[in-house]
Amino acid sequence: MQQGYLILSSGEVFKGRLFGSTTAMTAGELVFNTSMSGYPEILTDPSYNGQIVLFTYPLIGNYGWDGTWSESGGIKASAAVVKRLYRGPLPPGRMSLDEVLCQAGVAGIEGVDTRALTLSIRDKGARNAVICPEDRLDEASSFLASFPDITQRDLIASVAVTERVRDPELPEGFAKVPASARHRIALVDFGIKTSIISCFYERGVAVDLLPPDFKAEDVLGKGYGMLFLSNGPGDPARLTDQVAQVARCITKIPVCGICLGHQLITWALGGRTVKMVYGHHGGNQPVKDLDTGKSFVSAQNHNYMSDMDSLPKGVRLWFTNANDGTVEGIYDEERRVRSVQFHPEACPGPHDGRWIFDAFIKEMER
Amino acid sequence: MSRRNDIRHILVIGSGPIVIGQACEFDYSGNQAVKALKEEGYEVSLINPNPATVMTTPGVADHIFLEPLKPEYVERIFQQVGPDAILSTMGGQTGLNLTMELERLGLLEKYGVKVIGASTESIERAEDRGRFKETVEDLGLECARSRVVHSLDEAEAAKDFIGLPVIIRPSFTLGGMGGSIAESEEDFLPLVEKALEMSPTHEALLEESLIGWKEFEMEVMRDRNDNAIIVCSIENVDPMGVHTGDSITVAPIQTLSDRQYQRMRDASIDILRAVGVDCGGSNVQFAMKPDSDRMVVIEMNPRVSRSSALASKATGFPIARISAKLAVGYTLDEVMNEITGQSASCFEPALDYVAVKVPRFELEKFPLPSSALGTQMRSVGEALALGRNMCEGLNKAIRASERKLEGLVELDRRTNDVDTLLRSAHPLRLLAAYTVICEKGESCLEEIGRLTGFDRFFLSSLYEQSLMDRRLRTEELTAKLLLEAKGFGMSDRRIACLSGKGEDEVARLGDEEDIHACVHFVDTCAGEFKALTPYCYTTYGEEDEGEGLGEDAVIIVASGPNRIGQGLEFDTCCTLASLALRAHGHKTVMVNSNPETVSTDFNISDRLYISPLNAEEVIEIMRKEGCRKVIVQLGGQTPLNMAQRLEECGAEIVGTSLEGIDETEDRGLFSALVRRLGLRQPENRMASCEEEVYEKAREIGFPVLLRPSFVLGGRSMFIAYDEDGLKDFLANGNVTLSKDSPVLVDQFLEDAFEYDLDAVCDGESVYIGGILQHIEAAGIHSGDSAAVFPPYKSKPEILEQMRQWTLKIARELNVRGMMNIQFAEKDGKLYIIEVNPRASRTVPFISKASGVNLIEKAVKVWLGESLVSQGLVDPKTNIGEGRCHTGWAIKEAVFSFDRFVNVDPQLGPEMRSTGEVVGLGRSFGEAYAKSQAGAGNRLPTSGRVVISVNRKDRKTIVPIAKALQELGFSILATRGTARDLFDEGVLCDVVLKVHEGRPNIVDMIRAHKVDLVINTPMGFHATKSDDDIRTEAMRNKIPYTTTTSAASAAVDAIRYLQRQEYIVREI
Repeated sequence: MQQGYLILSSGEVFKGRLFGSTTAMTAGELVFNTSMSGYPEILTDPSYNGQIVLFTYPLIGNYGWDGTWSESGGIKASAAVVKRLYRGPLPPGRMSLDEVLCQAGVAGIEGVDTRALTLSIRDKGARNAVICPEDRLDEASSFLASFPDITQRDLIASVAVTERVRDPELPEGFAKVPASARHRIALVDFGIKTSIISCFYERGVAVDLLPPDFKAEDVLGKGYGMLFLSNGPGDPARLTDQVAQVARCITKIPVCGICLGHQLITWALGGRTVKMVYGHHGGNQPVKDLDTGKSFVSAQNHNYMSDMDSLPKGVRLWFTNANDGTVEGIYDEERRVRSVQFHPEACPGPHDGRWIFDAFIKEMER
Repeated sequence: MSRRNDIRHILVIGSGPIVIGQACEFDYSGNQAVKALKEEGYEVSLINPNPATVMTTPGVADHIFLEPLKPEYVERIFQQVGPDAILSTMGGQTGLNLTMELERLGLLEKYGVKVIGASTESIERAEDRGRFKETVEDLGLECARSRVVHSLDEAEAAKDFIGLPVIIRPSFTLGGMGGSIAESEEDFLPLVEKALEMSPTHEALLEESLIGWKEFEMEVMRDRNDNAIIVCSIENVDPMGVHTGDSITVAPIQTLSDRQYQRMRDASIDILRAVGVDCGGSNVQFAMKPDSDRMVVIEMNPRVSRSSALASKATGFPIARISAKLAVGYTLDEVMNEITGQSASCFEPALDYVAVKVPRFELEKFPLPSSALGTQMRSVGEALALGRNMCEGLNKAIRASERKLEGLVELDRRTNDVDTLLRSAHPLRLLAAYTVICEKGESCLEEIGRLTGFDRFFLSSLYEQSLMDRRLRTEELTAKLLLEAKGFGMSDRRIACLSGKGEDEVARLGDEEDIHACVHFVDTCAGEFKALTPYCYTTYGEEDEGEGLGEDAVIIVASGPNRIGQGLEFDTCCTLASLALRAHGHKTVMVNSNPETVSTDFNISDRLYISPLNAEEVIEIMRKEGCRKVIVQLGGQTPLNMAQRLEECGAEIVGTSLEGIDETEDRGLFSALVRRLGLRQPENRMASCEEEVYEKAREIGFPVLLRPSFVLGGRSMFIAYDEDGLKDFLANGNVTLSKDSPVLVDQFLEDAFEYDLDAVCDGESVYIGGILQHIEAAGIHSGDSAAVFPPYKSKPEILEQMRQWTLKIARELNVRGMMNIQFAEKDGKLYIIEVNPRASRTVPFISKASGVNLIEKAVKVWLGESLVSQGLVDPKTNIGEGRCHTGWAIKEAVFSFDRFVNVDPQLGPEMRSTGEVVGLGRSFGEAYAKSQAGAGNRLPTSGRVVISVNRKDRKTIVPIAKALQELGFSILATRGTARDLFDEGVLCDVVLKVHEGRPNIVDMIRAHKVDLVINTPMGFHATKSDDDIRTEAMRNKIPYTTTTSAASAAVDAIRYLQRQEYIVREI
């Protein structure tokens, strides 16, 4: 088996065995995810574009891979770091994680001390790392040193549509385009998870996917019920054009969003986002609904968050994180804006927040 | 929302004695609950007749009642201390059933007591199988095809609808008791009949067999604000068809996709919502058809359970504690996760290890019918291990189950029918699969999967292990290979065995190459937050997180999985010692593998290790913590067995020295000691071959007591009355004879009185906690015998002799800490039976009955405070002794015989009881009545007594029969007994013995025409007829006594019961 290394920009070196693509030199921001299931959904989530995903759960690949679980056209994470990769027999019709990464040309490394890595990221923050085959070790440090910080990278263009797509068909395993839609929304794709579209279809909402370089004119006066901003990778502070377009739409049409979409809305309303030390990545994050006082468990995947102190007047907190009190959702009744930081579509993760889609639709119907 | 202020005083119901299916997990949960409620400022009362528990330790609750879990006693508690709420969910099925009974009797309403935890409506909705199925199906979820039946006719019709095989489950029984699987037409009706009898509501559920499906469990919590979380998901390695308590399980779920898992998660929460569980925890069980999405709901328990204790230890999330907080009004987001101190309890624990549970069986004591498990739980305990991969978890957990298995090992085909084991739900099935995989390699995985129902994922782990075994057999043991093998959770001993080396060699290689265990914390969050509480496990080859506590810390080696003879009592001793040491400013390290216990609660010690209890692991922990002091005298035989090895590796054994321990455990040394001190013990010899057994027995004279050396709980003990008896003993396959494992041949003191004495010693003086006299005569294991404190039938000079002998032994052995001595008295002569240089089963009982916490006193001795300075002994005599503070305390043993249809409930020298209760009273009768009520024996207050005694007892039975007659009972006797009674002027009817025709005594019992059976067996001539009487009485739940002393005690008790006082006494 091909030996390889995981090297962090802070200097720590971990030796392991490579799987998937064993020749590539892969760098990215190393983040950990604490979900105990759902590695296919995580690795295909476009929000992970540019990031190396470290799984804290030590046994990965146990139930193989089924294409119908994919949250996008393919693997979007830069690489996978696992303690132990399952290589045994699988249920009929499923591929192994190793095979899938191989085909996608994506690197994985197993046999590394994922607990030590997690604690290091927790204490010192997410940072760049490189996975490198044993025989390319001499190139590694220069490669890593020259690799840009995530805030400098355009990670959206490669994972989003380039032009408007009307009624995108979803693969098997997701909802069909609604035959007779109650509403049609403009959904800006920054690297959207398929499940988000599926959740709208299930509720009888038709979707036009818009490319990330959309203009307010593409949205306003086109008969859309709402502008919806998707999740996506990278630093929201880079997306100043998009923020400006969103700002132009606000008050003219209901605006909602998830994750990156929520962060862009924060900026558009006059607030700002900040980078977190290691973010929230997992399927066990508790959020508290400040309207009802109820709490539920959510799927999350973000390294940036809305700065609570920056929220302008009129913007109300919808949800906060019950662990650390950070902003998990905001709304502005007057300007008809509603957004959440977590992932109500789940996949992977708990479905407890699925009702948020109904809240979005209600906002649009109000 | 927050704390309820409409209640002030809460009564917590304990679960009573340990029985199979309901064990010390409820001490753990009850204890947590009481603490959580007191923290909130509530006044807390507790009722539990189990004296072995931590929760009944004075100071834990405000008012502690060691009283029977019966409505009449609870009513008195209502009157006496006036609780206004009752927490129903901490006492297992017993707690729920008692709550329902109080409700039915209108007592809750009468005294204005509110039910908290689970409402009686939700209990009913969850427990009534018919209603539960309706609830589930209304949610659009699937149940197994099934029907509820109340009669055999209904059952026939249901069978046609469902098809065979059919699973039969009686309603409202604990641990699936009375459940069975009918495979054929012939089995069907008898099994249904039995199930209907077992059910208190005469109702059973017949359902589609899901045997071979994958089985899962979800631990869910929900609060009154409708917040719900999954604390832990558990996958059973054993497929459906084996009770989940008997299954090897792993947390979290390993083989479900996220979509399948989330569907199960949604279903679990929906079910809690529909059933109406809105302030506590529940578990919901599911089955999934392999390689399909068909998911079927099996059942739920609206309370904390064995699996919630397991889930708490597997995740670090204290379910019972938080359930208690929810019960008094808090919501999940208001309760802090104590482990992280910075996350709320409404988050779901994320694990970064696997938590494997392996059940512990007592196959020798309770043979399995046709060696297969079923829907009825039969394991008596369990061991938990954490590891970073499946093999590590399995190897450690199997080792931790202390079944003499060094982890995943091949079975010896000469002694095991591997192919049959593969096809049967046997505890060794996994190892049978492992054996075949080792032989045939990867190509057989699919076939094995088909035969066993084990998922391919688990079989693949076994295959990986087989490859590791092969490498160890064939390759040189390099540092790299050793480290890899340690990462698989293998012990030095196993590695040594495979690589053809000595265990010491392997350990040395580890030392030279610096291959040592590293510590990981169990933090509920996979490292996302820093853990504040010190709950950890060890693994290999990864970064070490812990900093040692340093040399002042004391390691307490606990007692491992529950088994007959070593259970809750020892865990209580370990827990109390840790608390006492900490109270005196010392740091403690608890090492245990039993997830059901209080000792593995993360706030009992300064550091907690979930670990197999072997010398190797304890030595690694010593190394890590940088400490040397180890306490081995509190956890039963398990820690004692490793004491020598620990000392060789640098441990300092706290208290009595190893030499002292050896002198009591080694027969030769012990006999020498007895002679040296001028004491007396029964004649005894050792035999290392068959001829010697005969020879020595003849020397001593019959009857003789036979037993293998170094055993606990009297395993394989036997009384031989003649040479035929010896032949029977030797013919039993369990006995292996050799120089290294000789058989002990002892003079058996028939009809002697037996005593148990527990003492604390400091090398100079002894403080005797109390002397217990057994009600049953010698020959019945001390753990199975009812016992009275103080002795009720003994002469003062015999008692004084016991005290003096105890002092002599304690001084001679320089005992420091706990000591237990068993004495026997026959014809006015005192004999010493055995000395245990450790805490015994009876320590918690004596502590509570005397009001002196013996463990605390022992801890003080270890810390250098003499017994004289503790004020416990008279400096002139160097002896002190405790007194029963209520006057009389009776300990009664409790059995789980009803789970083993083919096991004769007759008692003997081999211990078979699973638990105990206490009866406290001012009079002997009161104490005995309560001990019987607590043990679930319903002594009648009127009706008919049947008496059949052996010749020897015919004199002693007369006053008893007379007394019963005066109490209003009519007497029925077998012919011989009747004649003697007539002669003494007692009028009675004659009943036939079994062989005399019909209707006979057994027919009478079966027809419930008898209310009490007094039947003393004919010693070694015990007949089949006696067995039938006992078995039938037990089946029909009719109280029976097998000794005249117990019969006489019963008379006293009946006298008390007739007065209907139901006195309750606070301890």
